[in-house]
Amino acid sequence: MPSIPSYFSVQFLAILLPVTVTTYAFLPQKPRRIVLLLASYAFFWAVSGKLLVYLLLSTLSIHHFGLWLADNQNRCDQALEQAQKENRKGIKVLYQRQQRGIIAFAVILHIGVLAVLKYSAFFATNLNVGFNLLKLPATVAIPSFVLPIGISFYTMQALSYVLDVYHRKISADRNLFRLALYMSFFPQIMEGPICRYTETAEQLWSVPPIEYRNLTFGLQRILFGILKKMVVADRLNLLISNVFNSYQDYDGFVIAVAAVCYTIQLYMDFSGTMDVALGIGQIFGVSLTENFQRPFFSKTIPEFWKRWHITLGAWFRDYIFYPISLSKPMKYLSSKARKRLGHNFGALPASAIALFYVWLCNGLWHGAGWHFIFFGMYHFALILSGNIAEPFAANIAHKLHISREHPLYHGFQIVRTAALVCIGEMFFRANGLRTGLAMLKKIFTDFTFNTIVEKTFFSFGADLYDYIIVAIVLAVVFFIELCQEKGVSIRERISTKPVAKRFAVYYALIMAIVIFGAYGDNYVPVDPIYASF
Amino acid sequence: MKIKRTLRGVAFIAGLMILLAVSSYLLVPRNNTAAAGMEATSANGILGEKENSIDILVLGDSESYFSISPLQLWKEKGYTAYVCGTAGQHLTYSNTMLHRAFQKQKPKIVILETLAIYRKMSLSNVGLAEIARYFPVFQYHNRWKSYDLKGFKNGVKYNWAEDYKGYFYSDQVTPAQNLEYMTPTEESAKIAKTNRYFIQKIKDFCDENGAELILLSTPSTQNWNYKSHNGIAILASELSCEYIDLNLMNDTVGINWSLDTRDSGDHLNYSGANKVTHYLAEYLSGRGILSDHRGDKNYAHWDECLEKLNAKAKGTSN
Repeated sequence: MPSIPSYFSVQFLAILLPVTVTTYAFLPQKPRRIVLLLASYAFFWAVSGKLLVYLLLSTLSIHHFGLWLADNQNRCDQALEQAQKENRKGIKVLYQRQQRGIIAFAVILHIGVLAVLKYSAFFATNLNVGFNLLKLPATVAIPSFVLPIGISFYTMQALSYVLDVYHRKISADRNLFRLALYMSFFPQIMEGPICRYTETAEQLWSVPPIEYRNLTFGLQRILFGILKKMVVADRLNLLISNVFNSYQDYDGFVIAVAAVCYTIQLYMDFSGTMDVALGIGQIFGVSLTENFQRPFFSKTIPEFWKRWHITLGAWFRDYIFYPISLSKPMKYLSSKARKRLGHNFGALPASAIALFYVWLCNGLWHGAGWHFIFFGMYHFALILSGNIAEPFAANIAHKLHISREHPLYHGFQIVRTAALVCIGEMFFRANGLRTGLAMLKKIFTDFTFNTIVEKTFFSFGADLYDYIIVAIVLAVVFFIELCQEKGVSIRERISTKPVAKRFAVYYALIMAIVIFGAYGDNYVPVDPIYASF
Repeated sequence: MKIKRTLRGVAFIAGLMILLAVSSYLLVPRNNTAAAGMEATSANGILGEKENSIDILVLGDSESYFSISPLQLWKEKGYTAYVCGTAGQHLTYSNTMLHRAFQKQKPKIVILETLAIYRKMSLSNVGLAEIARYFPVFQYHNRWKSYDLKGFKNGVKYNWAEDYKGYFYSDQVTPAQNLEYMTPTEESAKIAKTNRYFIQKIKDFCDENGAELILLSTPSTQNWNYKSHNGIAILASELSCEYIDLNLMNDTVGINWSLDTRDSGDHLNYSGANKVTHYLAEYLSGRGILSDHRGDKNYAHWDECLEKLNAKAKGTSN
């Protein structure tokens, strides 16, 4: 069981969730909102204690900024209505400047809090390294802050709300409690999904009664998520933590296997948590945004990022990529580049600059460390080189008579993409950039299969049975995802079966978790990985 | 429709309970040995003791099993004690061991070594431990890996008994440095709410079963201080139970920190344990509630066990 009261802890699954669902179910509509809000704050309090104040302040702040922006927009509209035609441009510019000032204040405030809490130690450390290199007799004290759980997630939600109000995509919400529920809804506060105001605020506020179908579908999804996390992700942790913490003791083959296992662990952990979050949402009649769409069926890296942590990618697309690539200087750059590089490559420089910022932010969002920045830059390089190489690759394939639509070619693309992702995740998990590079070097310079003979994989506290169980559950997950990829909904199928068969499915899931879950005496509790970002 | 669904829900939960009970029965160790999958075998050796043969039950962490030697107690006063201490014991497990022990035994005295009272417990682990008391599959779920059908046919038989009655023999000597560890203070260490809840449960269980709970702080320069003493003293007065802090009674107990500790004051060795046990024997004798079983045929194997311990101490046995 994890050390923090996450969605997989006994206190959450046996107390908070059932109590909230039961109370919600027996109350009329209006008090249900209070139940959800209280449950959300209770959960946050249980995980982060007094740091709840950050979430409260963030909610109050976006409520205030939203109203401020809306007020300014109204005054602008009124002034424009009353103004004569020749004065309108000047009024527009004046109010736009004010709007920009307000939104800049809001963004700087939220990013500032995040930067101080999450990145100040990293910046101070690097500043000291710089002073040292320049032989300057100065040092900066390294600050230490405790991060409120989910700050990276709810800050994104807060920013998307104020930015959408700024862009007049949505109206500012005068109801503080609706905004508070949007910001704090307990299934998503820890690891997302990062939802937009338009996607969830109204749904949450409507608090529909609990329906049998939503309840059963939600519970199925929660159980599936727990299975992924507790049977696969937590079980693989024995191998992964051993190899990543002392990679020097292992050869390239073991390191490569550990990198693959970590990618599987991350997927099972994060997507399992999302299954729990979305399942809980479904019980309350709320459709949270999907965060994963079978990413390991992706044929290219850009496609992978459209299927993996979808809400984060969409956030960066809407609030970083588009604003940069559609800005005036970038449009100018594109038009110039088109004249020099032609139509195919003309848009590349502008999109490359926008992409660079997207991936820099993506890397930094995951954590304060050079290996996270490297992770972002690695994907930036892969996507950019893929874009540049695409016309050449198409040309070569055509000349060699290789059908790019052949299933075998698709298979090759899927394996290639997965391999590239695994390399990136190895840096993501490594204890620093140097360690990541050293591990990569070992894969290419110290690759032997001796460890199979030496049974190294059984020396981490995991035995053959552990790996067999992991393989079986992965096969089940693969089968389900394959069905989903072909448009078949397993849950819909189950719902049409007779009650005995449906019960059998539930019992099988529950007993698989109880018996094969990696918890108790022989396992170290593993906190949900993305909760620490 | 609603009634039908409610009945379906009830049927589902009932079915789940049956499944958990059946899987618990299938996975619970068939014997109290390590080979059969039993955890903390030394402590669980009590399950193999003759019915109603134990006078004193000792609970706690490693301090308990390094400090109290039941066979010394037997030698001096003829009392039968068993140490159900385990490494880093949490009060949830103390509670579990208490319930397990009382299934076959009716000890008159339950001694709880107090270091366990301060050991932090996560709510998750507490919840899991509580569920596991009703459905042991949550504790023994991993036994599917070594499942033995033969053992299943034989049913559950706890018949393995431990020779030293839960005591961990150690003749290592590593002197302690910090001898001024009991500096008086008015401060008192806080006991976590969850721990307080479990200690109350343990006390209530003892009361219901006619056993007296005694809180005992065994000597340890590394793990104990006056602040901790004050916290337990307050707790003992709240619980209305006896509290003995041997760290404040060294004039009587006579621990020599140069000779009686195995690891610089963290735990006692054989010589230290004998001194603590001697004190305890005299204390319990003074209470006059236990009887001397020496010479009773039913307790003859205690003499055999004592001989084994003596041989070990003399270095003539492994």
